[in-house]
Amino acid sequence: MQKMSAVKKSIITAVCIALCVVLPQAFHAVPNAGAIYLPMHIPVLLCGLICGWSYGLLCGLAGPALSALLTGMPPAAVLPGMMVECGVYGLAAGLLMQLVRTKHLYADLYISLAAAMLLGRVVSGIAKALIFSAGSYSMASWVAGSFVTALPGIVIQLALLPSIVYALMRARLIPQRYPKDEE
Amino acid sequence: MNAVPTGVYQPGSSFLHRLCAFAKLLCLIVLLCAVVATGSLSGYALLLLFTAGLLLLSRVPLRSALGSAWRLRWFFLIILLMNTCFFNPEGAWFSLWIFTPSPAGLMQGLNVVLRVLFILVFSNLLTLTTAPMELTRAIELLLSPLGLLKIPVGQVAMILSVAIQFVPTLFEETDMIRKAQTARGAKFDSPRLLDKAGAAAPLVVPIFLAAFKRADELALAMEARGYRTDAPSRPGRRLSGTWRDAAALVCCCLLWAVQILYL
Repeated sequence: MQKMSAVKKSIITAVCIALCVVLPQAFHAVPNAGAIYLPMHIPVLLCGLICGWSYGLLCGLAGPALSALLTGMPPAAVLPGMMVECGVYGLAAGLLMQLVRTKHLYADLYISLAAAMLLGRVVSGIAKALIFSAGSYSMASWVAGSFVTALPGIVIQLALLPSIVYALMRARLIPQRYPKDEE
Repeated sequence: MNAVPTGVYQPGSSFLHRLCAFAKLLCLIVLLCAVVATGSLSGYALLLLFTAGLLLLSRVPLRSALGSAWRLRWFFLIILLMNTCFFNPEGAWFSLWIFTPSPAGLMQGLNVVLRVLFILVFSNLLTLTTAPMELTRAIELLLSPLGLLKIPVGQVAMILSVAIQFVPTLFEETDMIRKAQTARGAKFDSPRLLDKAGAAAPLVVPIFLAAFKRADELALAMEARGYRTDAPSRPGRRLSGTWRDAAALVCCCLLWAVQILYL
Protein backbone atom coordinates (compact mmCIF):
# COMPACT_ATOMS: atom_id res chain seq x y z
CA MET A 1 0.00 0.00 0.00
CA GLN A 2 1.21 3.51 -0.74
CA LYS A 3 2.23 5.71 2.16
CA MET A 4 -0.50 7.27 4.25
CA SER A 5 0.51 10.04 6.65
CA ALA A 6 0.48 9.41 10.38
CA VAL A 7 -2.01 12.26 10.79
CA LYS A 8 -4.45 10.64 8.39
CA LYS A 9 -4.01 7.23 10.01
CA SER A 10 -4.67 8.83 13.40
CA ILE A 11 -7.85 10.55 12.23
CA ILE A 12 -9.12 7.39 10.50
CA THR A 13 -8.47 5.49 13.74
CA ALA A 14 -10.39 8.16 15.67
CA VAL A 15 -13.31 7.85 13.26
CA CYS A 16 -13.26 4.06 13.58
CA ILE A 17 -13.27 4.35 17.40
CA ALA A 18 -16.23 6.74 17.14
CA LEU A 19 -17.97 4.24 14.82
CA CYS A 20 -17.49 1.56 17.51
CA VAL A 21 -19.81 3.73 19.62
CA VAL A 22 -22.23 4.76 16.88
CA LEU A 23 -22.74 1.58 14.81
CA PRO A 24 -24.08 -0.62 17.66
CA GLN A 25 -26.62 2.12 18.41
CA ALA A 26 -27.75 2.07 14.78
CA PHE A 27 -28.75 -1.59 15.18
CA HIS A 28 -30.56 -1.05 18.46
CA ALA A 29 -34.03 -1.68 17.00
CA VAL A 30 -33.06 -5.32 16.44
CA PRO A 31 -33.17 -7.50 19.57
CA ASN A 32 -29.76 -8.99 20.51
CA ALA A 33 -28.23 -7.06 17.60
CA GLY A 34 -24.77 -6.88 19.17
CA ALA A 35 -24.31 -10.66 19.19
CA ILE A 36 -25.92 -11.17 15.76
CA TYR A 37 -24.56 -8.31 13.63
CA LEU A 38 -21.28 -7.74 15.54
CA PRO A 39 -21.36 -4.05 14.60
CA MET A 40 -18.39 -3.15 16.77
CA HIS A 41 -16.07 -5.58 14.96
CA ILE A 42 -16.52 -3.87 11.58
CA PRO A 43 -14.69 -0.57 12.31
CA VAL A 44 -11.96 -2.38 14.26
CA LEU A 45 -11.20 -4.80 11.41
CA LEU A 46 -11.39 -1.97 8.90
CA CYS A 47 -8.99 0.15 10.94
CA GLY A 48 -6.49 -2.72 11.14
CA LEU A 49 -6.76 -3.41 7.40
CA ILE A 50 -6.30 0.23 6.40
CA CYS A 51 -4.04 1.77 9.03
CA GLY A 52 -1.90 -1.11 10.29
CA TRP A 53 -1.55 -3.22 13.41
CA SER A 54 -0.74 -0.54 15.98
CA TYR A 55 -3.73 1.62 15.01
CA GLY A 56 -5.95 -1.47 14.76
CA LEU A 57 -4.91 -2.54 18.25
CA LEU A 58 -5.65 0.91 19.66
CA CYS A 59 -9.04 0.94 17.94
CA GLY A 60 -9.84 -2.53 19.27
CA LEU A 61 -8.98 -1.56 22.84
CA ALA A 62 -10.37 1.98 22.90
CA GLY A 63 -13.56 1.37 20.85
CA PRO A 64 -15.36 -0.93 23.31
CA ALA A 65 -14.04 1.07 26.29
CA LEU A 66 -15.33 4.38 24.90
CA SER A 67 -18.64 2.78 23.95
CA ALA A 68 -19.05 1.41 27.49
CA LEU A 69 -18.24 4.84 28.88
CA LEU A 70 -20.58 6.83 26.63
CA THR A 71 -23.48 4.40 26.09
CA GLY A 72 -23.09 1.78 28.82
CA MET A 73 -22.69 -0.94 26.15
CA PRO A 74 -21.02 -3.43 26.33
CA PRO A 75 -21.71 -3.88 30.07
CA ALA A 76 -18.74 -3.85 32.46
CA ALA A 77 -18.82 -7.66 32.85
CA VAL A 78 -18.39 -8.25 29.11
CA LEU A 79 -16.03 -5.32 28.45
CA PRO A 80 -12.63 -6.95 29.19
CA GLY A 81 -13.38 -9.96 26.97
CA MET A 82 -14.65 -7.70 24.23
CA MET A 83 -11.53 -5.52 24.44
CA VAL A 84 -9.28 -8.57 24.10
CA GLU A 85 -11.30 -9.90 21.15
CA CYS A 86 -11.44 -6.58 19.31
CA GLY A 87 -7.80 -5.82 20.11
CA VAL A 88 -6.72 -9.09 18.50
CA TYR A 89 -8.94 -8.39 15.47
CA GLY A 90 -7.29 -5.03 14.87
CA LEU A 91 -3.79 -6.30 15.59
CA ALA A 92 -4.08 -9.44 13.44
CA ALA A 93 -5.84 -7.70 10.55
CA GLY A 94 -3.09 -5.06 10.41
CA LEU A 95 -0.21 -7.54 10.72
CA LEU A 96 -1.62 -9.92 8.13
CA MET A 97 -2.38 -7.13 5.69
CA GLN A 98 1.27 -6.11 6.05
CA LEU A 99 2.55 -9.66 5.52
CA VAL A 100 0.18 -11.04 2.87
CA ARG A 101 0.94 -9.74 -0.62
CA THR A 102 -0.58 -11.81 -3.41
CA LYS A 103 -0.72 -8.92 -5.91
CA HIS A 104 -4.51 -9.15 -5.81
CA LEU A 105 -6.31 -6.74 -3.50
CA TYR A 106 -9.33 -8.93 -2.79
CA ALA A 107 -7.16 -12.01 -2.11
CA ASP A 108 -5.06 -10.00 0.39
CA LEU A 109 -8.17 -8.64 2.04
CA TYR A 110 -9.99 -11.96 2.32
CA ILE A 111 -6.95 -13.88 3.61
CA SER A 112 -6.17 -11.19 6.22
CA LEU A 113 -9.80 -10.76 7.20
CA ALA A 114 -10.65 -14.45 7.56
CA ALA A 115 -7.46 -15.21 9.50
CA ALA A 116 -7.96 -12.19 11.79
CA MET A 117 -11.60 -13.14 12.44
CA LEU A 118 -10.60 -16.70 13.32
CA LEU A 119 -7.64 -15.63 15.44
CA GLY A 120 -9.73 -13.09 17.37
CA ARG A 121 -12.34 -15.71 18.18
CA VAL A 122 -9.75 -18.27 19.26
CA VAL A 123 -7.89 -15.82 21.53
CA SER A 124 -11.18 -14.49 22.93
CA GLY A 125 -12.35 -18.06 23.63
CA ILE A 126 -9.09 -18.90 25.39
CA ALA A 127 -9.21 -15.65 27.42
CA LYS A 128 -12.83 -16.30 28.45
CA ALA A 129 -12.13 -19.93 29.33
CA LEU A 130 -9.02 -19.15 31.37
CA ILE A 131 -9.63 -15.66 32.79
CA PHE A 132 -12.95 -13.88 32.32
CA SER A 133 -15.41 -16.81 32.69
CA ALA A 134 -13.11 -19.45 34.10
CA GLY A 135 -14.97 -22.66 34.91
CA SER A 136 -18.26 -21.64 33.32
CA TYR A 137 -17.25 -21.46 29.65
CA SER A 138 -17.48 -24.50 27.41
CA MET A 139 -16.52 -25.39 23.84
CA ALA A 140 -20.23 -25.53 22.97
CA SER A 141 -20.87 -21.99 24.22
CA TRP A 142 -17.78 -20.76 22.32
CA VAL A 143 -18.99 -22.31 19.05
CA ALA A 144 -22.56 -21.09 19.63
CA GLY A 145 -21.53 -17.55 20.57
CA SER A 146 -18.70 -17.09 18.09
CA PHE A 147 -20.02 -18.84 15.00
CA VAL A 148 -23.74 -19.81 15.18
CA THR A 149 -25.38 -16.71 16.70
CA ALA A 150 -22.86 -14.47 14.96
CA LEU A 151 -23.38 -15.99 11.49
CA PRO A 152 -25.11 -12.89 10.04
CA GLY A 153 -22.31 -10.75 11.45
CA ILE A 154 -19.66 -13.00 9.89
CA VAL A 155 -21.48 -12.86 6.54
CA ILE A 156 -21.70 -9.06 6.81
CA GLN A 157 -18.00 -8.72 7.62
CA LEU A 158 -16.87 -11.02 4.81
CA ALA A 159 -19.22 -9.45 2.29
CA LEU A 160 -18.88 -5.80 3.25
CA LEU A 161 -15.37 -5.14 4.52
CA PRO A 162 -13.43 -5.88 1.29
CA SER A 163 -16.04 -3.91 -0.64
CA ILE A 164 -15.77 -0.97 1.74
CA VAL A 165 -11.95 -0.96 1.43
CA TYR A 166 -12.26 -1.13 -2.37
CA ALA A 167 -14.88 1.65 -2.39
CA LEU A 168 -12.66 3.85 -0.21
CA MET A 169 -9.73 3.29 -2.55
CA ARG A 170 -11.86 4.08 -5.59
CA ALA A 171 -13.11 7.23 -3.89
CA ARG A 172 -9.42 8.13 -3.25
CA LEU A 173 -10.13 8.45 0.48
CA ILE A 174 -7.28 5.97 1.16
CA PRO A 175 -4.25 5.16 -1.08
CA GLN A 176 -4.36 2.31 -3.62
CA ARG A 177 -2.61 -0.89 -2.50
CA TYR A 178 -1.59 -1.91 -6.04
CA PRO A 179 -1.91 1.30 -8.07
CA LYS A 180 -1.21 -0.25 -11.49
CA ASP A 181 -3.72 -3.09 -11.06
CA GLU A 182 -6.49 -0.77 -9.97
CA GLU A 183 -6.18 1.86 -12.67
CA MET B 1 -35.05 15.23 21.57
CA ASN B 2 -33.07 13.52 18.82
CA ALA B 3 -32.03 16.90 17.49
CA VAL B 4 -30.47 17.93 20.78
CA PRO B 5 -26.70 17.72 20.49
CA THR B 6 -25.36 15.79 23.46
CA GLY B 7 -21.77 15.53 24.57
CA VAL B 8 -20.62 18.54 22.52
CA TYR B 9 -18.61 21.10 24.51
CA GLN B 10 -20.65 24.09 25.58
CA PRO B 11 -18.50 27.05 26.65
CA GLY B 12 -19.33 28.56 30.02
CA SER B 13 -17.94 29.85 33.30
CA SER B 14 -19.64 27.57 35.80
CA PHE B 15 -17.86 25.79 38.65
CA LEU B 16 -17.48 22.64 36.54
CA HIS B 17 -16.24 24.61 33.53
CA ARG B 18 -13.51 26.19 35.66
CA LEU B 19 -12.25 22.87 37.04
CA CYS B 20 -9.00 21.56 35.61
CA ALA B 21 -9.64 18.93 32.89
CA PHE B 22 -7.30 16.43 34.54
CA ALA B 23 -9.13 16.75 37.86
CA LYS B 24 -12.46 16.27 36.04
CA LEU B 25 -11.13 13.13 34.36
CA LEU B 26 -9.95 11.76 37.74
CA CYS B 27 -13.33 12.67 39.26
CA LEU B 28 -15.10 10.79 36.45
CA ILE B 29 -13.03 7.66 37.15
CA VAL B 30 -13.79 7.88 40.90
CA LEU B 31 -17.49 8.47 40.16
CA LEU B 32 -17.60 5.42 37.87
CA CYS B 33 -16.19 3.37 40.75
CA ALA B 34 -18.84 4.85 43.07
CA VAL B 35 -21.60 3.94 40.60
CA VAL B 36 -20.33 0.36 40.32
CA ALA B 37 -20.11 0.11 44.14
CA THR B 38 -23.75 1.19 44.54
CA GLY B 39 -26.26 -1.59 45.09
CA SER B 40 -29.08 -0.22 47.23
CA LEU B 41 -31.92 2.24 46.72
CA SER B 42 -30.49 4.60 49.34
CA GLY B 43 -27.17 4.50 47.45
CA TYR B 44 -28.92 5.46 44.23
CA ALA B 45 -30.82 8.22 46.04
CA LEU B 46 -27.49 9.65 47.20
CA LEU B 47 -26.10 9.42 43.64
CA LEU B 48 -29.21 11.18 42.37
CA LEU B 49 -28.69 14.05 44.82
CA PHE B 50 -25.03 14.26 43.83
CA THR B 51 -25.92 14.28 40.12
CA ALA B 52 -28.52 17.01 40.68
CA GLY B 53 -25.84 19.04 42.45
CA LEU B 54 -23.43 18.54 39.54
CA LEU B 55 -26.10 19.58 37.03
CA LEU B 56 -26.72 22.76 39.00
CA LEU B 57 -23.00 23.48 39.26
CA SER B 58 -22.43 22.84 35.54
CA ARG B 59 -25.24 25.20 34.43
CA VAL B 60 -25.61 23.25 31.16
CA PRO B 61 -29.11 22.79 29.70
CA LEU B 62 -30.82 19.72 31.15
CA ARG B 63 -31.70 18.51 27.66
CA SER B 64 -28.04 18.41 26.63
CA ALA B 65 -26.95 16.60 29.77
CA LEU B 66 -29.73 14.01 29.64
CA GLY B 67 -30.19 13.80 25.86
CA SER B 68 -28.30 10.53 25.30
CA ALA B 69 -30.08 8.90 28.24
CA TRP B 70 -33.43 10.01 26.81
CA ARG B 71 -32.56 8.45 23.46
CA LEU B 72 -32.11 5.08 25.21
CA ARG B 73 -35.41 5.27 27.13
CA TRP B 74 -37.04 2.33 25.32
CA PHE B 75 -33.92 0.24 25.75
CA PHE B 76 -33.90 1.02 29.49
CA LEU B 77 -37.58 0.12 29.75
CA ILE B 78 -37.08 -3.21 27.96
CA ILE B 79 -34.08 -4.10 30.14
CA LEU B 80 -36.06 -3.23 33.27
CA LEU B 81 -39.11 -5.28 32.18
CA MET B 82 -37.02 -8.27 31.07
CA ASN B 83 -35.10 -8.37 34.34
CA THR B 84 -38.30 -7.95 36.37
CA CYS B 85 -40.14 -10.71 34.50
CA PHE B 86 -37.40 -13.29 33.98
CA PHE B 87 -34.48 -12.71 36.38
CA ASN B 88 -35.61 -14.68 39.44
CA PRO B 89 -38.87 -16.70 39.64
CA GLU B 90 -38.48 -17.20 43.40
CA GLY B 91 -40.73 -14.94 45.46
CA ALA B 92 -42.57 -13.78 42.33
CA TRP B 93 -45.58 -11.51 42.81
CA PHE B 94 -47.53 -13.72 40.38
CA SER B 95 -46.90 -16.15 37.53
CA LEU B 96 -48.46 -15.73 34.09
CA TRP B 97 -47.29 -18.11 31.29
CA ILE B 98 -43.49 -17.55 31.16
CA PHE B 99 -43.57 -14.25 33.07
CA THR B 100 -42.64 -14.30 36.75
CA PRO B 101 -42.16 -10.69 37.90
CA SER B 102 -40.33 -10.61 41.21
CA PRO B 103 -38.87 -7.97 43.57
CA ALA B 104 -35.37 -9.42 43.04
CA GLY B 105 -35.79 -9.07 39.28
CA LEU B 106 -37.01 -5.50 39.64
CA MET B 107 -33.99 -4.65 41.80
CA GLN B 108 -31.63 -6.27 39.29
CA GLY B 109 -33.25 -4.31 36.45
CA LEU B 110 -32.99 -1.07 38.40
CA ASN B 111 -29.33 -1.83 39.14
CA VAL B 112 -28.49 -2.24 35.46
CA VAL B 113 -30.55 0.71 34.20
CA LEU B 114 -29.52 3.18 36.92
CA ARG B 115 -25.82 2.33 36.62
CA VAL B 116 -25.83 2.88 32.86
CA LEU B 117 -27.88 6.06 33.34
CA PHE B 118 -25.52 7.60 35.90
CA ILE B 119 -22.41 6.66 33.89
CA LEU B 120 -23.97 8.29 30.82
CA VAL B 121 -24.82 11.52 32.63
CA PHE B 122 -21.38 11.79 34.26
CA SER B 123 -19.55 11.20 30.95
CA ASN B 124 -21.83 13.73 29.26
CA LEU B 125 -21.09 16.34 31.92
CA LEU B 126 -17.36 15.86 31.34
CA THR B 127 -17.56 16.39 27.58
CA LEU B 128 -20.10 19.23 27.92
CA THR B 129 -17.93 21.25 30.29
CA THR B 130 -14.42 20.46 28.97
CA ALA B 131 -12.91 21.91 25.81
CA PRO B 132 -11.59 19.22 23.43
CA MET B 133 -8.00 20.45 23.63
CA GLU B 134 -8.06 20.44 27.43
CA LEU B 135 -9.53 16.95 27.40
CA THR B 136 -6.77 15.82 25.05
CA ARG B 137 -4.10 17.21 27.36
CA ALA B 138 -5.77 15.62 30.38
CA ILE B 139 -5.90 12.21 28.67
CA GLU B 140 -2.27 12.70 27.64
CA LEU B 141 -1.32 13.42 31.25
CA LEU B 142 -3.30 10.43 32.51
CA LEU B 143 -1.62 8.14 29.97
CA SER B 144 1.85 9.67 30.42
CA PRO B 145 3.24 6.66 32.41
CA LEU B 146 2.78 4.62 29.21
CA GLY B 147 5.42 6.86 27.63
CA LEU B 148 8.01 4.79 29.52
CA LEU B 149 7.04 1.88 27.24
CA LYS B 150 7.72 4.08 24.18
CA ILE B 151 4.00 4.41 23.47
CA PRO B 152 3.27 7.74 21.69
CA VAL B 153 0.99 9.06 24.41
CA GLY B 154 0.34 12.44 22.75
CA GLN B 155 -0.84 10.79 19.55
CA VAL B 156 -3.07 8.33 21.46
CA ALA B 157 -4.60 11.20 23.43
CA MET B 158 -5.25 13.15 20.22
CA ILE B 159 -6.93 10.10 18.63
CA LEU B 160 -9.18 9.56 21.67
CA SER B 161 -10.08 13.22 21.83
CA VAL B 162 -10.98 13.37 18.12
CA ALA B 163 -12.99 10.15 18.53
CA ILE B 164 -15.02 11.67 21.38
CA GLN B 165 -15.68 14.77 19.28
CA PHE B 166 -16.76 12.66 16.30
CA VAL B 167 -19.38 10.64 18.22
CA PRO B 168 -22.26 13.19 18.21
CA THR B 169 -21.60 14.10 14.56
CA LEU B 170 -21.64 10.48 13.46
CA PHE B 171 -24.76 9.80 15.56
CA GLU B 172 -26.63 12.47 13.61
CA GLU B 173 -25.28 11.19 10.30
CA THR B 174 -26.20 7.59 11.13
CA ASP B 175 -29.68 8.54 12.26
CA MET B 176 -30.25 10.35 8.98
CA ILE B 177 -28.95 7.42 6.89
CA ARG B 178 -31.02 4.92 8.88
CA LYS B 179 -34.21 6.92 8.36
CA ALA B 180 -33.47 7.32 4.66
CA GLN B 181 -32.86 3.58 4.19
CA THR B 182 -35.98 2.67 6.18
CA ALA B 183 -37.98 5.01 3.95
CA ARG B 184 -36.51 3.19 0.95
CA GLY B 185 -37.83 -0.12 2.32
CA ALA B 186 -34.81 -1.62 4.15
CA LYS B 187 -36.02 -4.24 6.66
CA PHE B 188 -33.82 -4.75 9.70
CA ASP B 189 -36.14 -7.18 11.50
CA SER B 190 -36.54 -10.04 9.02
CA PRO B 191 -36.54 -13.47 10.72
CA ARG B 192 -34.17 -14.96 8.09
CA LEU B 193 -30.46 -14.79 8.95
CA LEU B 194 -29.27 -13.97 5.44
CA ASP B 195 -31.95 -11.29 5.06
CA LYS B 196 -30.73 -9.80 8.32
CA ALA B 197 -27.18 -9.74 7.00
CA GLY B 198 -28.31 -8.27 3.68
CA ALA B 199 -30.29 -5.52 5.39
CA ALA B 200 -27.15 -4.23 7.13
CA ALA B 201 -25.35 -3.34 3.89
CA PRO B 202 -27.49 -0.30 2.96
CA LEU B 203 -26.88 1.04 6.45
CA VAL B 204 -23.20 0.26 7.00
CA VAL B 205 -21.65 1.23 3.65
CA PRO B 206 -23.00 4.83 3.49
CA ILE B 207 -22.09 5.37 7.15
CA PHE B 208 -18.49 4.35 6.48
CA LEU B 209 -18.17 6.40 3.32
CA ALA B 210 -19.58 9.50 5.04
CA ALA B 211 -17.34 8.98 8.09
CA PHE B 212 -14.19 8.50 6.00
CA LYS B 213 -14.99 11.56 3.95
CA ARG B 214 -15.10 13.60 7.16
CA ALA B 215 -11.85 11.97 8.32
CA ASP B 216 -10.18 12.83 5.01
CA GLU B 217 -11.27 16.48 5.25
CA LEU B 218 -10.10 16.79 8.85
CA ALA B 219 -6.73 15.13 8.17
CA LEU B 220 -6.20 17.41 5.17
CA ALA B 221 -7.03 20.50 7.25
CA MET B 222 -4.68 19.40 10.05
CA GLU B 223 -1.82 18.67 7.64
CA ALA B 224 -2.38 22.00 5.88
CA ARG B 225 -1.94 23.73 9.23
CA GLY B 226 1.32 21.88 9.79
CA TYR B 227 0.11 19.45 12.45
CA ARG B 228 2.57 16.64 13.18
CA THR B 229 1.86 13.62 15.36
CA ASP B 230 5.43 13.54 16.68
CA ALA B 231 5.52 17.22 17.64
CA PRO B 232 5.43 18.05 21.37
CA SER B 233 2.00 19.22 22.54
CA ARG B 234 1.50 22.94 22.87
CA PRO B 235 0.98 24.41 26.28
CA GLY B 236 -2.68 25.35 26.65
CA ARG B 237 -4.74 26.47 29.57
CA ARG B 238 -3.51 25.40 33.00
CA LEU B 239 -3.66 21.78 34.03
CA SER B 240 -2.34 22.54 37.49
CA GLY B 241 -4.70 21.96 40.41
CA THR B 242 -6.41 24.60 42.53
CA TRP B 243 -8.50 24.33 45.71
CA ARG B 244 -11.55 23.78 43.50
CA ASP B 245 -10.00 20.73 41.87
CA ALA B 246 -8.92 19.30 45.20
CA ALA B 247 -12.38 19.91 46.71
CA ALA B 248 -14.11 18.24 43.75
CA LEU B 249 -11.83 15.20 43.96
CA VAL B 250 -12.33 14.91 47.74
CA CYS B 251 -16.13 15.09 47.30
CA CYS B 252 -16.06 12.30 44.70
CA CYS B 253 -13.80 10.14 46.88
CA LEU B 254 -16.09 10.73 49.86
CA LEU B 255 -19.09 9.66 47.80
CA TRP B 256 -17.29 6.49 46.76
CA ALA B 257 -16.25 5.75 50.36
CA VAL B 258 -19.83 6.25 51.61
CA GLN B 259 -21.15 3.91 48.91
CA ILE B 260 -18.65 1.21 49.89
CA LEU B 261 -18.87 1.56 53.67
CA TYR B 262 -22.47 2.49 54.42
CA LEU B 263 -24.85 1.87 51.47
